[in-house]
Amino acid sequence: MRIEKCYFCSGPVYPGHGVMFVRNDCKTFRFCRSKCHKNFKKKRNPRKTRWTKAFRKASGKELTVDNSLEFEKRRNIPVKYNRMLWDKTVEAMKRVEELKQKRQARFIMNRLKKGKQLEKEEDINEVKKNIHLIKAPHAGKAKQMEDKMVQKLQEDVNMGDEDD
Amino acid sequence: MTRKSGRLVTTTMAKSKQKGNHKSDKKKNIAKTWKTKRRTKDLDQIHSDMKPDTATKLLHQEVDYDVTGCAQHYCLHCARYFVDMKAMKEHFKSKVHKKRLKQLREEPYTQAEADRAAGMGSYIPPKTVEVKTQPVEEDMD
Repeated sequence: MRIEKCYFCSGPVYPGHGVMFVRNDCKTFRFCRSKCHKNFKKKRNPRKTRWTKAFRKASGKELTVDNSLEFEKRRNIPVKYNRMLWDKTVEAMKRVEELKQKRQARFIMNRLKKGKQLEKEEDINEVKKNIHLIKAPHAGKAKQMEDKMVQKLQEDVNMGDEDD
Repeated sequence: MTRKSGRLVTTTMAKSKQKGNHKSDKKKNIAKTWKTKRRTKDLDQIHSDMKPDTATKLLHQEVDYDVTGCAQHYCLHCARYFVDMKAMKEHFKSKVHKKRLKQLREEPYTQAEADRAAGMGSYIPPKTVEVKTQPVEEDMD
């Protein structure tokens, strides 16, 4: 018995769950739930459907190339039961899963950094563009002009005085 | 000049003026088209059809009176039969056909890819395949 993967969303298909569709050329397709089956019947492309694992991998949302992904495999060789081997395998599975989780989390955090940077740039741009809402463009200018005029008048008056 | 709704309308535009599919007969029973009973060929099946030997077999079929156009005019990529050469040529120019060619340019999705996406191996990006409309033989009669 084996936990298959859904053809559409790549989710696990446990024994006794989901649907298997056999096409008229004998090719089989397993689906984890009716949602996936319906989408298959509508001929949707899993690579283009945003909620599938295939989409997430294809568009670089998730960790795609890593050694931790190479352990889980379809091994079609029957292995005789051996308690030592069994125990070791279970331990190894736990460790591999732990590493995988860690790496995936790190990948996603790194991916999100880009968005934060862009957000910051966008914020700075917005402030620069709408600076007039924060500070009026001619704020304090009237006072300056008045001061200048007064100064000039005074100078003129002074000049006039000297001429006399 | 074509007659449309009682008065004459000049057709200067090359594109059709059809907007939406609300009145299209083909879209009337959309749920029926999704039934596995009426399932049309999948993209991966068409990809295997495109292999040279099967392609020649499909393009040169024997006369079959039960099939549209006696199975003499078959579009390989859309898996459709046409009544005559004219209809098929018209189809080659259509949006449906061009869209289908575009879809076929990507390697078909497989269960292996689904497994890889689920964490059984690293991701391998799909290859692009060159797809062109089948060559049309000119009938001299």
